[in-house]
Amino acid sequence: MNEGTLLSGGWLWLAFVLIAVATHVPRGSFIVAGSRVRLPEALQRALRYAPAAALAALVAPDMLLVGGQLDPFNLKLVAGLAAFAVAFRWKNPWLPFAVGMGIVWLGRI
Amino acid sequence: MSPSFRDGAREGFRAFLPLSVGLVPWALVTGVAMRSTGLSVIESVGMNLIVFAGTAQLGTLPLIGAGAPLWLIMLTALVLNLRFVIFSAALAPAFDRVPLLQRVLSGYLLVDGVFAVGAERMLASQDRDWRMGFFLAPSAYAWVLWQVFVLCGVLGAGALPRDWSLEFMATIALITLLVPIARARPMLLAALVGGLATVLLKDMPLRLGMIAGIVLGIAAGFAVERWQARRTAP
Repeated sequence: MNEGTLLSGGWLWLAFVLIAVATHVPRGSFIVAGSRVRLPEALQRALRYAPAAALAALVAPDMLLVGGQLDPFNLKLVAGLAAFAVAFRWKNPWLPFAVGMGIVWLGRI
Repeated sequence: MSPSFRDGAREGFRAFLPLSVGLVPWALVTGVAMRSTGLSVIESVGMNLIVFAGTAQLGTLPLIGAGAPLWLIMLTALVLNLRFVIFSAALAPAFDRVPLLQRVLSGYLLVDGVFAVGAERMLASQDRDWRMGFFLAPSAYAWVLWQVFVLCGVLGAGALPRDWSLEFMATIALITLLVPIARARPMLLAALVGGLATVLLKDMPLRLGMIAGIVLGIAAGFAVERWQARRTAP
């Protein structure tokens, strides 16, 4: 497995299985275990912030790094912020994609 | 199938129907994103059947594409799915005395939309069969809808040109997921801190920057929540 190349063959399927485990164990956890087991209140409250922090951690490098270097003035940041604003304002599920991709493509011309 | 199961199924389906439209673009994007990361059609379909989780799929694709270590891929998926621990804990009382096999199936099928629409009514109902119908019908419908439109994306992706930066659609999909979350002030802060810290810590070894960024984001959100609570307390 080299850095910078797509996982392939058995590694790829192993990755799928691991992602599936990381999905279905949290989903099934308390439904399968039953209501006798409880999470501590503070932990439950803290865990609520995990998806927000993780989603942002995934998208921020896509929008702020160009070729691995910090570049706050690039088109993908503009496109990302525009998509966010559009999704914030309107309910139409297609609009953020149209606006975001439109801006990225405009930059190509 | 008891009449009350059928009753619950009808109502659950009706409650989820309007929201389900939002799954369509997201499923198409997930399909396209898997192909543009470099997965074959078989691999894409396989991933979608095994994993069945849009956020975890979109979130791990960049890591899969970059040949990231398996532990990082799994940890990322786990963090993205932590919300399900909370959903699962919240719903657990509704699955009291439901057969094990049905509980396992329900765990596999649990998705955000059905939880958001149905959790309150499920917990309020005293009828076990009604609750199972109310949960399983929209969940099964969401599964079918998801598989069909991801397949459309997977098969349609080949017809799209390669130089259109289509992988950025995955980023946009994740951004739209952030929107409803970020309406609450501490959540927005958790996202901002998590995102910026990840970028600033990008040179940490073993991609620990992302994990550190997420932990900092969670800590920031939680700290502000505590601080707000103390200020509003009498």
